[in-house]
Amino acid sequence: MEPTVSVQELTKRFGRKVVLDGPTLRLGPGVTGLLGPNGAGKTTLLRILATTLAPDGGRIRALGLDPADRAQRTELRRRLGYLPQDPGFYPHFTVFELTEYVAILKELNGRHERHRQVRRVLAEVDLADRARTKVRRLSGGMRQRLALAQALLGDPGLLILDEPTVGLDPEQRMRFRALVSRLGESRTVLLSTHQTEDVAALCERVVVMKGGRAVFDGTPAGLAATATGRVWSSERSPAASELFWRTADGRYRTLGARPPGAVPAEPGVEDGYLLLLGGDARATA
Amino acid sequence: MNTQWHLPGELIERYTTGHLEAVQVMSVETHLMGCARCREAVPYEREWLTAGWERIADAVDRPRPRPVARILRRCGVPEHVAVFLAATPALARGWLVAVTATVAAAVAVAHLVDSTGAAWTVHPLLFFLTVAPVLPLAGIALAYGPRVDPVHETQAATPMAGSRSLLLRALAVLVCAIVLTGLATPLLPGPPGLAAAWLLPALALTATTLALATRVAPPVSAAVLIVAWSCAVLTTGGLTGDGLVLFSPAAQILYGAATVLLIPLVHLRRARFDPGEPRWNRPSASKN
Repeated sequence: MEPTVSVQELTKRFGRKVVLDGPTLRLGPGVTGLLGPNGAGKTTLLRILATTLAPDGGRIRALGLDPADRAQRTELRRRLGYLPQDPGFYPHFTVFELTEYVAILKELNGRHERHRQVRRVLAEVDLADRARTKVRRLSGGMRQRLALAQALLGDPGLLILDEPTVGLDPEQRMRFRALVSRLGESRTVLLSTHQTEDVAALCERVVVMKGGRAVFDGTPAGLAATATGRVWSSERSPAASELFWRTADGRYRTLGARPPGAVPAEPGVEDGYLLLLGGDARATA
Repeated sequence: MNTQWHLPGELIERYTTGHLEAVQVMSVETHLMGCARCREAVPYEREWLTAGWERIADAVDRPRPRPVARILRRCGVPEHVAVFLAATPALARGWLVAVTATVAAAVAVAHLVDSTGAAWTVHPLLFFLTVAPVLPLAGIALAYGPRVDPVHETQAATPMAGSRSLLLRALAVLVCAIVLTGLATPLLPGPPGLAAAWLLPALALTATTLALATRVAPPVSAAVLIVAWSCAVLTTGGLTGDGLVLFSPAAQILYGAATVLLIPLVHLRRARFDPGEPRWNRPSASKN
């Protein structure tokens, strides 16, 4: 069976900086999380998959289409939904007007069908009662839901979400996760995030990016398992060279070599992720 | 309401076949509103009912079209294109006011110079003729691209990305600028032919801006051409002693020829407006 998205040795440079250094991925239906620190190439990869940026090299097939081909790229654009990292808005537009505008960009030209879809997606993200509200009056969480509504127009088979939970409070994030999880039941969803909690909560699969490469591709449980035997809990602070932090119960959680007096701890997704990042994680810790 | 009593079958049949008086229909419908059992008994087409509710919801939610969209609709532009163009940042009130004010100022300057002509060495129409051709360029610079359109990144992932959006918006801006400037032309002093000498330079500069925009961003190409055009008018006027040399009939032929040549070039290179177009697909790039 052909995967929904297939990426082979994708490369992209900005000037001298290599942003994508040949990641290879195959994605099927369900929710896949893209984890990685800033500068790992997540947004560039998502932008290339969303056809808003051209790669320098490598091959992509998405929904059976090759975006390097002009006609197939246009067809792919009809069938994908994209929530950019920084979705822009016309603040003087109402929620309905802005969604309708994006519907027109997606070639929903017949007015009745277009309006039907606009109402459907606004209801899906719980913004139906805000249809006549100006965008500038929306909270950050509502704007994020509005951006997701636009991505859902046309009932896309592939949904690309770039850091969709940024700026949301815990309750909004929980609702957003539930919505994305529901959307992933019937389509392929690829989302990037810094939040390992998001991945653990809603992703069936996780890809970790580092330095423009995919350094892990598997399940969240598999990512957690990579840390088995390298997560420790101790009462005393370990050496400064180790990656560690103080937890809510006052103990020290250390990743890597066993500190003196430490006992093994249950590894989680975050532990596996931080160990994969290695030096990068230490630098940001 | 008494829900112990229910509509007899014969009454339901007369209601559904439209054989009741208006007052009886109102009475039946009042009962139906409060009686689920009778509602069940009234046959209806689900699609018809759904479509009816959708029509009502549409009428309630549908926003009033923006003024630009209403004008475009009256000009015969399809509804979805009118809504799309009304969102063009350059067609927002600010740019329209700026164009109107600039044209009005240029007309005022022409009359001022004309009425005190003896004291001036410049032609009364020079300012107007210099400014009018670059007005569409300023609009195109503000019509498309990540720096001027907040929704650009979302738009770039839709089938309307690239040349379809840019060229449609550029055309709308050009028509709008030409109409506003054209309305002011009869108000100018001097022969009508000379007063309209801005039109072909405007078309040529617009085509050149779009041709350059296949290599650099539209705001950059527009800015370069605005500066180049202004310098050219001033320099040639100084060198030849004729401030209107760039508006002579010979120059007009060149502008017309440039427009005719550049439009097919823009069409051929339109894929370059697409942010997703790989470099190896571009004609001038080596194969990857």
